[in-house]
Amino acid sequence: MSIAPGSIADRSMPSDTSRRRYRDVRELVASPENPTPLVRLNRVLRPGADGYLKLEWFNPFGSVKDRTARALLQGMRDRGELRGRELVEATSGNTGIALAALAALEGLRLTVTIPSGVPREKLVLLRMLGATVLPTPDELCPIDNPRDGAIALARAIAESPAHAGRYAMPDQYANADNVRAHYEGTGPEIWEQTEGQVRTFVAGYGTCGTLSGVGRFLKERDPTIRVVAVEPQRGHRLPGLKNLEEAKAPAILDRSVIDDVIRVEDAPAYAMVQRLFREEALIVGPSTGAIVHAMASLDGSADPIVGISPDGGQKYASFYADLLDDADPTEV
Amino acid sequence: MPDITLSPTPARADAELDCKGLLCPLPVYKASRALDRLRPGQVLRVECTDPGSLADFPALARQRGFTLLSVADRDGIQVFHLRREM
Repeated sequence: MSIAPGSIADRSMPSDTSRRRYRDVRELVASPENPTPLVRLNRVLRPGADGYLKLEWFNPFGSVKDRTARALLQGMRDRGELRGRELVEATSGNTGIALAALAALEGLRLTVTIPSGVPREKLVLLRMLGATVLPTPDELCPIDNPRDGAIALARAIAESPAHAGRYAMPDQYANADNVRAHYEGTGPEIWEQTEGQVRTFVAGYGTCGTLSGVGRFLKERDPTIRVVAVEPQRGHRLPGLKNLEEAKAPAILDRSVIDDVIRVEDAPAYAMVQRLFREEALIVGPSTGAIVHAMASLDGSADPIVGISPDGGQKYASFYADLLDDADPTEV
Repeated sequence: MPDITLSPTPARADAELDCKGLLCPLPVYKASRALDRLRPGQVLRVECTDPGSLADFPALARQRGFTLLSVADRDGIQVFHLRREM
């Protein structure tokens, strides 16, 4: 990054954080020095519950995956895997959006394989950022892994002899840097923001980077902290989450840090999304609804509870249109 | 990635796809998209070298309603002919 002589970006950062400025957008990706907000839930949990959501959509590209993408690219750069190559990755959208943004800044080309059924908003954002987008039916590879077509396709693009090593695949499902992002970032942030008081941590089965990294960090601080995984129903409509009976368990999943699994169906997850919009004024994505529904089922022994809100709701407007009741008033 | 090319001598196939050196499921993915660009009744010829294709192409035909007209294995190259029906 080159900065014009005399630019104020060159001068040292004022100690007053209200006057903080950034050398480029990458500095906005969360870290223990610049954590995402932890916000109390005051209405949707059981009365008196002490529960908090960590709003990962305050990251600059809109989701928890900004941390993952930064760590994946840093690791690949350090190992010399990026030189002269293009990127290919399987993603339900958020990792792709963060990778596409970072790749654009670094002059890298990105191809994304994306499960069909992901909202149109995400496809448009990926293409706006210059990524090549390959929508992929889940059942593309009926023989091996019936619900992981996008992952199988990305691996085939990366490993096909005909492509002669042209593509490098970050592989968020198997790359330890995904776990490291949360072990070094999200976990320490939660510990600091709760002053070490957190008793229960709740996140979804997805790539399992958040569960494995945060879970490992918190268990090392205090082994009695309870780590709860949220699993969607089979054939669910909750982008980013995985039912591990129909999808392969990611290689980075560390089951030793998970104490309980709570299964959540689509209907209560989407009902909770609507409650979060209307009662907490939190404009969240569908997976947050599943996570908060699970948080609401925990009793007082779990407090304080911290749940992850992986992304915000704007990218899901077309999904949410189905939620709106025709009886909702549209006239005064 | 090589793309679909129209055959100059369409004896039996209206289009051809070279998937040699591509791992599964790339061949079925590319074939599925190529068939979507054909008209009903037209035939696609696909050459593959990943043996997984022998299982993937019958499954693709079943799922998407294509007709698998022939499968041949010549010196480690699998050749498939598929017809778009609707």
